[in-house]
Amino acid sequence: MDLSVIDWSDIWLATWETLVMTGVSLFFTILLGLPLGILLFVTAKRQLLEQGFVYTVLSFVVNVLRSVPFLILLIVMIPVTVILIGTSLGVEGAIPPLVVGTAPFFARLVENVLREVDRGVIEACQAMGIRTWRIIFGALLPEALPGMIAAITVTAITLMSYAAMSGVIGGGGLGDLAIRFGYQRFQTEVMVITVALLVVLVQIIQYSGDRLVLYFTRK
Amino acid sequence: MIRIENLRKTYRAADGREVEALTDIELEIGAGEVFGIIGRSGAGKSTLIRTLNLLERPSAGRVLIDGEDITHLDSEGLYALRRRVGMIFQHFNLLNAKTVADNIDWPLKATGHTNAAERAARVKELLALVGLAEQGHKYPSQLSGGQKQRVGIARALANRPQILLCDEATSALDPETTQSILRLLLDINRQLGLTIVLITHEMQVIRTICDRVAVIDGGRIVESGKVADVFLHPQHAVTRSMVAQSDALAAASFDPAHAYMKDKLRGTLVRLTYIGDVTYQPILSRIMAGAKVQVTILQGEVSSIKDVPFGQLLLELEGSEDDIREVFAALDRHQIHHEVLQ
Repeated sequence: MDLSVIDWSDIWLATWETLVMTGVSLFFTILLGLPLGILLFVTAKRQLLEQGFVYTVLSFVVNVLRSVPFLILLIVMIPVTVILIGTSLGVEGAIPPLVVGTAPFFARLVENVLREVDRGVIEACQAMGIRTWRIIFGALLPEALPGMIAAITVTAITLMSYAAMSGVIGGGGLGDLAIRFGYQRFQTEVMVITVALLVVLVQIIQYSGDRLVLYFTRK
Repeated sequence: MIRIENLRKTYRAADGREVEALTDIELEIGAGEVFGIIGRSGAGKSTLIRTLNLLERPSAGRVLIDGEDITHLDSEGLYALRRRVGMIFQHFNLLNAKTVADNIDWPLKATGHTNAAERAARVKELLALVGLAEQGHKYPSQLSGGQKQRVGIARALANRPQILLCDEATSALDPETTQSILRLLLDINRQLGLTIVLITHEMQVIRTICDRVAVIDGGRIVESGKVADVFLHPQHAVTRSMVAQSDALAAASFDPAHAYMKDKLRGTLVRLTYIGDVTYQPILSRIMAGAKVQVTILQGEVSSIKDVPFGQLLLELEGSEDDIREVFAALDRHQIHHEVLQ
């Protein structure tokens, strides 16, 4: 393997782009997915704000979005992305499909994390005469914090691999580099380096997430 | 203070059948009273206590607290009611993410007490009340079961309720810790004049702190009254079997037909029960000193139920019918209840 053929400035730029795509889309994924997940949890059967119809509709929408393979979503989203931000290419162009692809996934994770919160604790809060919204924000979410961090970690890693996939439709980052140089120009060295970098990034995210979970766990 | 009228609760089971969890419950609980509801698991006691703050909605009937039917409260009224009715739980249900002090502060903060200094003072007072003055900074996971329940009690008292509901509050604790929690509850009952309603499957809990007891079985109240009356003279089969299973009070449910010494009995088998001051007087010795009757004590207990001393003895009396009748008359004169078993 001849590393001298590699243009390192390209590599570092791509790494930076991958981090930006992952970070920005993680932010919007949480922004959309967290409320959606909370809504899924509280409207479910026998929960704080049981609303059978709302739950059924939300759950259906989430399932539909989750059943579209990400590669297809990337293509289907192109016109929408163009309307939203003017281009479907580059780092910006990859963000809308990334958010639409992972927000429903994250919402499901949030719903599951909230279900893990001891029912008795919520019931105790109800028995104290505390309003439902107050229970959700003052007790339910703080109790679920370690689980939430774990869910965000999983989502961040998923986003990173999706971001690499967006290279197929001209998104930026390490995936794009791997496809253009490693695949189309047969530069195996570039392929190896990008994969190695992705491995390192995933390890760092998982390790930091685990540390944070541990830090916030009071059980 | 609390009146339950004609209460009924039905569930729809998973297979679509209607299951009746509570049937025709009638109860009256006085202000300042410690009222126990005892029953085996599945008897409906948990459902019953949960109707008192509407964690469980009755299917029919009324629940009156201070004369107000709580089943008709709107959501604002229900919030207000629940702040007047504290509750503690078998598994404590503390917030793991909050410190002990924050757990006690939470019901205050979340129900509109905005003055942080006042709240902090109240939390300090409550920590001292439950004997955890030094533990405020810890997290629940760092506490023992008994300490966790103390936090639960402090938290339940934060909003100065008039009623405290205890849902199997000592069932997850060892006997020693149970006793210390019961003592704390009794102190609170006396100091604050708090009405306590508790459910349990342990006779010992009822004996230690309750004034009155209701026995529940199959969703119905089968027997109720003062604790000493119910446990020393159990009428219903369920009460009898509960009494029989506890080591103490065994004489109350003694069945001569199944006793190991039934072949050896020659005389009359009598059960004596006495409650109150007579317990500590040498009445039995006085009566027997003058009687021409031989006495054998087969079984018995002298103890107290809450603060009421009592004695219960199983005796075999040997002598002529007239002599025995004379002993019975003397017992009656001293308000010692006797019951001929055989």
